[in-house]
Amino acid sequence: MSDDAGLRTPPTRLSSDYDGAISIQDKTHKRRSGVRGIGASSWLKQQNLAAPDTPNRIILADNKTWVMSLSNREYWVLEPHEDADTFPMGRDFSEDGVYPLFCQSSHRWFVIAGEAKAQMMAKLCGVDLRSENFESGAVAQTQLALVNCIIARHTIDDEDVFSVFIDQSLAEYTLEVLLDARQEFLS
Amino acid sequence: MKIMNCPLNGPRNISEFVYGGQVKTMPDHTLSSDSAWAEYVFYEKTEIGLVLEWWLHSPSSYWFIAERHNGSDEITRTFAPEAIFCDRVDFKTSEVPV
Repeated sequence: MSDDAGLRTPPTRLSSDYDGAISIQDKTHKRRSGVRGIGASSWLKQQNLAAPDTPNRIILADNKTWVMSLSNREYWVLEPHEDADTFPMGRDFSEDGVYPLFCQSSHRWFVIAGEAKAQMMAKLCGVDLRSENFESGAVAQTQLALVNCIIARHTIDDEDVFSVFIDQSLAEYTLEVLLDARQEFLS
Repeated sequence: MKIMNCPLNGPRNISEFVYGGQVKTMPDHTLSSDSAWAEYVFYEKTEIGLVLEWWLHSPSSYWFIAERHNGSDEITRTFAPEAIFCDRVDFKTSEVPV
């Protein structure tokens, strides 16, 4: 078994290609980190990363980096094009009021794309994720099949997607649920 | 499905929330009698009427306060705890028995 086997999804279960109207990708091995604390917002600015002004929003901080706010004091930095760091929090946290969040290790990252993605998620989640009520840039901290999750609507390579973050310990169950929900949308 | 409005996340299914007990003023544990401390820890208001309660939105780990009628079970409002708890409360530590 390779060192990073735990970060890789068995290729027979998911692929980056569309299967019917839905694509489900596993971005768990892509880079992300988090900061929390009263100084988190100013710390991000020092890193030249813009932060959303309000909780539950996600913005493009530079060409390929997304910053997601979960409260006024908690932010995740998502880099879907970069592989995960060997040391997940390779940043300087010497400042007071800024604490690291180990979301690289704590959460699995699924990316769901396709025209029917909101329709599929309606089977699993109580929040209305249709584009008229959940526009690009919106974030919902809610439940997916009774499992706590974070759902963010943004773009990756100009494609509208849902990024779904699930606690690692429940990710296998949630993946089964997503694959089952996708069945009716397969071509 | 019953809906509760989370001050941070908006309306959510009640299954996403966890009850955290009534909002009570904590006595100074270094000075209060055993009975006063027990009153604070174990007893809650039982008269029919509006009560303030702690609730947790589990997916975001966000604690807030809800005003609920304990007879009709109607939730009349929810708000961030900062509306009540503005200042840090510190008790004297020198009087704590060793």
